[in-house]
Parts: sequence; structure tokens; C-alpha cells
Amino acid sequence: MTLLLVGPAPARSSEKGVDVVTLSARRRLRRPSLREAGTALLFVLPCLLLFVAFRFGPAVAGVLLGFTDYTIGGDASWVGLDNFRRLIDDPTFWSALKVTVIFALLSVPLSMVASLGMALLTRRVFRGVKLFRSIFFLPVVTSLILAGVVFTWVFAEHGPWSRLMGAFGLPAQSWLADSTLVLPAIVLVSVWSRFGYGMLILLARLQEIPAELEEAALSDGASAWQRFRYVTLPQLRPALFFLAIIETTMSFQVFDIVYVMTGGGPVRASYTLVYQLYEQGFRYFDLGYASAVGLALFVMTVIVALIQRLTLGREE
Amino acid sequence: MRVRKSLTAVAVALVAALAAAGCGGSGSGDSGKKTVTMWIYPVIFDEAKHRAFWDETVKAFQAQHPDIQVKTEIFPWANRDQALATAIAGNKGPDVVYLIPDQLPKYARNIEPVDAYLDDAAKSDYLDNVVKSVTIDGKMMGAPILTSAVTMMCNKKVFEAVGQTTYPATWNDLLTMAPAFKAKGYDVTAYPGDVKNTLNQTFYPLLWQAGGDVFSPDGKSVAFNSDAGRKALTFVKQLVDGGYVDKTLLTTLPPTEQTRIAQNKVACLWHSAPQEVEQFWGKENIKVLPPLTETKQIGYGTVGSLAMLKGAKDKKAAGEWIAYASGADVTKKYDTASSFFSPKKSAGTLFAGDPVLGEQEKYVGVTTVGPLHEKARDVQGVLAPEIQAALLGKKSVDQALSDAAKAADALLG
Repeated sequence: MTLLLVGPAPARSSEKGVDVVTLSARRRLRRPSLREAGTALLFVLPCLLLFVAFRFGPAVAGVLLGFTDYTIGGDASWVGLDNFRRLIDDPTFWSALKVTVIFALLSVPLSMVASLGMALLTRRVFRGVKLFRSIFFLPVVTSLILAGVVFTWVFAEHGPWSRLMGAFGLPAQSWLADSTLVLPAIVLVSVWSRFGYGMLILLARLQEIPAELEEAALSDGASAWQRFRYVTLPQLRPALFFLAIIETTMSFQVFDIVYVMTGGGPVRASYTLVYQLYEQGFRYFDLGYASAVGLALFVMTVIVALIQRLTLGREE
Repeated sequence: MRVRKSLTAVAVALVAALAAAGCGGSGSGDSGKKTVTMWIYPVIFDEAKHRAFWDETVKAFQAQHPDIQVKTEIFPWANRDQALATAIAGNKGPDVVYLIPDQLPKYARNIEPVDAYLDDAAKSDYLDNVVKSVTIDGKMMGAPILTSAVTMMCNKKVFEAVGQTTYPATWNDLLTMAPAFKAKGYDVTAYPGDVKNTLNQTFYPLLWQAGGDVFSPDGKSVAFNSDAGRKALTFVKQLVDGGYVDKTLLTTLPPTEQTRIAQNKVACLWHSAPQEVEQFWGKENIKVLPPLTETKQIGYGTVGSLAMLKGAKDKKAAGEWIAYASGADVTKKYDTASSFFSPKKSAGTLFAGDPVLGEQEKYVGVTTVGPLHEKARDVQGVLAPEIQAALLGKKSVDQALSDAAKAADALLG
């Protein structure tokens, strides 16, 4: 990590794993001249402009639109909190919120467990481990639209999944056509598409854990489970916290696979908040209301992230 | 220093180039020529034939109007509203676009009525129900170029296999003959209940046949939560509960080739066009029938029209093009090539010798395009899942329609 300090250098500790800014390096750091700052700004400018134009600007516009009745191609009038009042009275919103929360409750733990399991399995160096890591990571870089199309066939009435269930004596039926099973099906696809990312994060952290810690535990007679529970897991805590935040945010934003595989059905059993946002914005062109849904989703994500921060990330 | 100067020069050049690219538009064509851009969709399935048709039509138009250049762009049907709406919002919309009545209310504020651009003879040549289907607040929002009629049609092969010699004309006929088809492993009909299907072709025809409607006459509330609505939904539920239709189609939308319809296992359909089943049933096995009758006989049909957007660069030129492209000669050729029907009285019948299209053409007069209401699609969005819930036994018919009406009325304000 390279540190560019423009003020007094804070105290650094190598024990915490942060690069130490050496005395000689600190001597070389000085306040940049106006000319140098200008040149640096010029380099940063394109990225800054893109950020403002495509990230910050639309986000601010989204917040403002939530207080208007803007429809595509129409005028926008300030309607105050009308969209949010409508949200409170809208049974579709509450149903979508319920589906989204259930989806997150199912997919986040499952994805994290799968990520952790795979990270532990591929942590050791053995012949072909890099190939396995690549294979497990492949779903992350696979188009979700494409995956959705394939999994629609997998979960079809006469598809492989249905046959597999049949082999276990379970009813051979399309999970996507059943209002109870559709969400677990979407969860499975979502976990399949995401666990590789979590695996990579956890793997990076696992490789940073000093081998001495485990060796010491081993020499103290700790079992494999005890080493995992009392040595590995505490060391993974920051990475797990980070992953929990990312996974939760991604779960709240689930859309692609729902769009391709179910269209929110049957009977709105897979109709999520982002799907409602999409329908309001791009099917009915009611961007004011769609923005209100987006704002509600944002607030919900922040609240959940704060709760996670207070619980999981308390010590970090 | 030299490197820094070069970098600065490159950065400035890059920013200038980006700015130039951002400011540059698509251009207005050759100087002195008026340009009209038209967006249309695959009305003629074969893209090469479709392209050739418009190229030829544009050429003939330009022979009469050498100062007007017309660019026709053929877009896919999928997500056409998203593309059009965002283009309009970004002030990059076309001058002329093909729209059906279902779309007109949503775009009404962006549409320039065509009344002033069509002469009286052209306007009076349109069928009355066709004019009605594109008229909002007394103004024609588009110049119709085609119509369609979705009637009842049955598979003769299936009827022969079951030994059924008469064809259904009413709901009761369908319910009465359903057990005989079921006994031989056939479905008497199919009901596409997946929410991606438009209710205009699935549930609404039944609602209309039962004497009901989607909206109240003043458009301020919904009217489907009525005796007619309950009757229509109960009829479909009887078909589902009796095992007379394929339940897979209630919740999924597979390609036709993967359905029992394609496997010649379904006897009759009221929501599909013959072209969709011809390759599976064979044209000779398609029996076209009038729309079903309950309280009244009515089916769904659409009207395709050319609408001018308010953002049109040169409204006079766009109007000239619309008047030409919606003329009797052009539409007759277009409708014949696309297997649609003419919206013009003067065209007469286009498919008199065709046993399928000729039969369908007879029923254009007993079709309706569905509700012309700004919230028509939004209402479908809340009604379709409730219909699905009733058919899957998650809610009673009364409860489903009542919940849908409550949500729909909230949308209407």
C-alpha cells in the first residue's frame, strides 16, 4: 500500500499489518505545489466528472424525484411526501418488502457459509488448487441473465432439478411455478452466482493469518474444530463483517435473476423491491413513485448495515 | 517538463474531443432536406421483406416529395416502451412511431394529433371502431395502418381424435365438451395465466363477453369487480379445477414449441393468432371460429397506427409522410404482406380466398382494442397476480377481484 500524506503522518504500527511509512520516505513527502496539484487534478478530473455525472448526480436526482410526480416524457411537480404516503398504503410494496427480507434472510447466511466452506477447502496448497479456485469463481463473472435463462430450464417441470427431487422421492415439479418453492430456487441461483466472490475475500484473509497461531494451538492439543472456532474464525471477523454488508446489500438489490426467471411470480411470491422499482419506473413510467421505492430501499439498507455494524463489527 | 506539457496537451485534446462528441448530435441530414425518422417494429416477421417494403415505400414517397428524407428504423418488439420512453425523455425520440391503442394513453402528452395532417376523405375511409380506438379527447392520436382480430380457433385434428363433431360457440359449450377431451388426454383449451401475458388477450375478452368492462364509464374507478368479472373468473377457475387446461401455463410462459399447444394436445384457443400455431397444427387443421359468446360476442383485436411525436423536428414533413404511409394503397400492400387486416372501408376484404385469414377477417367488426386509459397497464399489473392467486386456489374469486379492485382504485387516485 502506498501512502500519500499531505499532513502530519499518523502513528503507524507494523503489528496491525499496515505499511510503515519510514522516516526517509516521510522526509521525501512535502506539500505539493499549486502547479503539481493542478496537474494531479487534471488527471483526476475525467474520473471525477464521470462519478458526478453517472453516480452522484443520478443519486441526488433520484432523491429529488421521490418528492415529485415525474413520469417519463411528462412534467415534474413537487408533491412533497405523497409518494411515501402512497408507499405506506400500497400492499404491493409491503409484499415486495417481505419477499426481499425473506430472500436476504435465506441467501446471506447460505452464501456466507458456502463462501467460508469453499475458502477453507481451497486454502491449502495442493495440486490443481488454482484451477478449483478459478472454477468456483467462474459464476461471479458469468452473466446473470445467461445464468437465469439456463436455470429456468434447470428448474422447469421436466428439468434436471425436478428429476433430482423425484429421485429423492419428492414431488417432481417446477419450483419456479410454485409460490412456496420459487424463492428457495431463486436463493439457490443467487448463492451459486455470489459465493465465489465471498470465497475470494475470505481466502485472502485466511492467507494473512500467521501460521504460528494455528501451530501454537495445535501444540496445545486443540482439535480441528477448536482451531477453527478459537483461532481462524476470530481472525476472519473483519472479513466476515465486510462480506455480510456486501451480501446483504446485494440481496436487497436482487433483480436480474427474478426478471429472467420468474417476472416476480407466481402470485408475487418472488416480487422484490427492486422489481417493483423497475416496474414502476420502466413499465409504468412513474419515476416519482419508483424513486420513492428506491429511497425506502436505501434507508432499509443503511439501517441493516448499521445493525450489522453494531453487532458483527463492534470490535473492529 | 516536455513530458508534462505533452500530457497536458493530450488531456486537453481528450476533454475537447469528449465535449465535441457530447455536443454533436445525429445531424439533420443533407443541407436543405427535411428529415423524418420513423420507428417501427417487426410487423412483417421476415426482416428482409419488411426492410424492402419500407425502402420501396420511402422511394415512392420521395419521388413525390424530393425535399423530404425518410429514415425508417425497425426495432424489436421486446422492451419497445422502455426504448421509446427513454428516447423521448432524452429528446432523442423519433418523429413518427408505430403505436397500438394500449400505448396511446401513456404517450398522449407527447403525441401530436394527426387530424390536421389527414384529409377528410382519408379520415372518413377508416372503419368507425378503428377511429374510436385511436381517439383520445376527440383527437386522433395516430393514423391507423392495420387491424387484427383474435378470434376463437380450434385444432381439427384434436376434434377428430376425440370424435367431437361440433365446435364451441359459448362458454357452456367449452365446459360441456371439456370432459370428453380430458378423457382422451387432451385439454379443451389453455389459459396463459403468467403475469407477463397481457390481459387484453386472456381475461378481458371473457370479461367483455360476460357484459363487463375494466373501467367505469368515467374512468375514475375500475369495474371488473362485478358480477361479470366474477362470472368470467369463475369460468376460468372451473376449467382449471376440472383439469381441463394445462396448469403449467398458469405460472410460466414457455415458448409455444414447449407447450401442449404445439404438441397438438389442446383443442381450442381464444388468445392466439393462427400464425402462432400454424407450424404445429398445420394450416389445414386450423378451424377459425367467431369469438365466444356469453352475454355478448366480442373478442380482442388491435389497431396499429403511425403517431407523430410532439418533438418532431418538422411536423409538416412528418405529417406528409404519415398521410402517405397510411394511405389506402400503401396500407393495403402492407396489410397483405403482414397478414393483418385493413383499417379502411375502401380496402374491402384482403384475404377472401384464405381459409384462415379470410375467416378471421370477417370478425374484425366484433373486436375491441381494450381500455384506452392512462392507467390500463398499471391496472393489469395489479389484477394479473390476483387472477393467478384465484386460479391457484390461494384466494377465492371474490377476494382476488376485491383485492385487485382496491389496489387498482388506489392507482387511479
